Amino acid sequence: MKDTLENFELAIIAGNADASADLADTIVRQGQATADKIFDHLAAAMEEVGSRYETGEYFIPEMLRSAEAVEKAMTVLEPYLFERRHEQAGIIVMGTVKGDIHNIGKNIIVSALRASGYEVHDLGVNVSTEKFINKVKETSADLLLLSAFTTSTKPALLDIIAALESEGMRGEVKVISGGASHSEDFAREIGVDGFATDVKSTLAICRSLTGA
Amino acid sequence: MAGEIPDRVPVIPVVDGYFAPKIIGRDNDECFLDGICQAEALAASLARFGYDGAIAEMGLGDEPNVLGCPVEVEGNYVPLVVETLIAGREDIGKLKIPADSSAVATGGKLEPVRWLVEAVGAGQVVLGSVRSPFEYAATVRGLFDFMTDFYRDPELVRDLVAACIPATLAVGKALIEAGVDALVIKDSFASSSMISPDHYREFAWPAEVQAIGELGGLAPVVLHICRNSMPILEDMSKTGAAVLEIDSPVDLAAAKAAVGGRVVLKGNIDAAAVIEKGSLEDVEAAVRYAMSAAKAGGGFILSSGDSIPNSAPENNLTALVEAGKKYGKY
Ligand code: B12
Repeated sequence: MKDTLENFELAIIAGNADASADLADTIVRQGQATADKIFDHLAAAMEEVGSRYETGEYFIPEMLRSAEAVEKAMTVLEPYLFERRHEQAGIIVMGTVKGDIHNIGKNIIVSALRASGYEVHDLGVNVSTEKFINKVKETSADLLLLSAFTTSTKPALLDIIAALESEGMRGEVKVISGGASHSEDFAREIGVDGFATDVKSTLAICRSLTGA
Repeated sequence: MAGEIPDRVPVIPVVDGYFAPKIIGRDNDECFLDGICQAEALAASLARFGYDGAIAEMGLGDEPNVLGCPVEVEGNYVPLVVETLIAGREDIGKLKIPADSSAVATGGKLEPVRWLVEAVGAGQVVLGSVRSPFEYAATVRGLFDFMTDFYRDPELVRDLVAACIPATLAVGKALIEAGVDALVIKDSFASSSMISPDHYREFAWPAEVQAIGELGGLAPVVLHICRNSMPILEDMSKTGAAVLEIDSPVDLAAAKAAVGGRVVLKGNIDAAAVIEKGSLEDVEAAVRYAMSAAKAGGGFILSSGDSIPNSAPENNLTALVEAGKKYGKY
């Protein structure tokens, strides 16, 4: 059993989508692994992919290849995980804010979060404040994740926080932002509950804010 | 451009539609789709700061339109390519591939470039900027899908890049016909900060060679690859480009040692950390370092590593040009 899960993790890291799907199928047929165990391996794989990118061993296409392997494996695993999972890690609404169309980093984070057991509603890019607010209401999301890669997105970020406040929702949803434009100062000025600029710290913040 | 040693190192920072409009009191979005506004801004900036050349584009916002890609500007800071054209191989045929330079020079699109060519002073040059085939391909496919295709469908990547070669050629020739002195071919996504050197060689380099092979005979070509290009510098120097535009992550002395014998280097003051955020002293120190690393023996053009951001202080650009002229004397 241990071997299958380990190989599964390695296949994701190597970005081998077919092998990932096959191994996911084996995991389902063996029927032994708990949902938590599977998510642990998936999340570990995406963390490893993220750090290989940080150290220059991987480039963007290699990260995308692994993200695609996660998506393929998830299609196979979803029914199995759905049966076994008592509690979800949390519900997340995510998107790239208005005026910004960068999606690569966002999509990688979406895959890493799904791989970690979150239900993620991805709204895409150039997303209006209204769309974010409506989706958070509709899903009763625990976390709102905002990707913002250019510093010119600051007004859009402030607008979302202000809208959450005026709707009386600010206490109910934690807001995390991230992307290339982010620094500690930038995040403080916007008034988010946390920020991150890589896969590993994003997963850590989400875990700590949802207690997952 | 290459050849004998001039009186001093030319200074041609990358001042484009991000920085120049404020020099004539306009917002970027006003000038993005109004070419004459942009040309006036570029000429005013050139006159004000006194560097040696301006960089003309056909219109930053409009350029993906060459291949029929819709662009949206919504009172926004920058135009967004909101919709990509290529969902799969079958769509390659839908691209509006321009047959030649006359196909892109329609509707007065080149008027701003001609205007700028007329406006610059004696001894100042105009560089025309065009996207590489690889960059056009990424734009019409959408960068995310394009880079996912590297492993999922490499054949599609190759075919799409090849299909875009005529676009680079047509725009490049149109710019040359409008009177620019040299071309900058931008291949930003080919950077080793984004894709591996192997993928660069496989997907981007052959199209660079083909485009430069045709255009280089008509005007000198500057090949622009921003962020880290050290691992591919050797290959870049063998594309036929006369000049390599390199960014701040590359050590200029190392670049000079590696390829300075073959090509002119243009670079590489950090546009964000030094020109946007640094002090006047930081700018001067960076220029001095650049000169010490790359001036000797000629073949060097002082420049920012990449586009100067809108929020860069004007005094820092003044400092860059002054230091360039002072420390660049031969
Ligand atoms: C690729 C790219 C583009 C592509 C985007 C294509 C696409 N489909 O995404 C294109 C060409 C379209 C583009 C356009 C522009 N870009 Co751009 N782009 C980049 C570039 C080179 C790489 C981005 C990337 O994909 N990186 C790889 C991924 C994996 O990293 P990442 O995006 O940082 O994501 C990670 C983290 O940030 C984090 N993360 C991401 N989202 C979130 C969300 C949350 C909640 C959390 C916690 C974490 C998190 O996790 C991710 C995984 O590691 C960056 C440079 C850079 N250093 O990032 C510039 C950059 C982001 N772009 C920039 C700019 C200015 C622009 C343009 C205005 C024009 C220009 N000068 O290039 C336009 C703007 C268009 C618009 N309005 O959105 C600037 C922003 C500067 C600033 N401070 O404002 C950058 C930093 C480049 C620079 N130094 O000038 N760009």
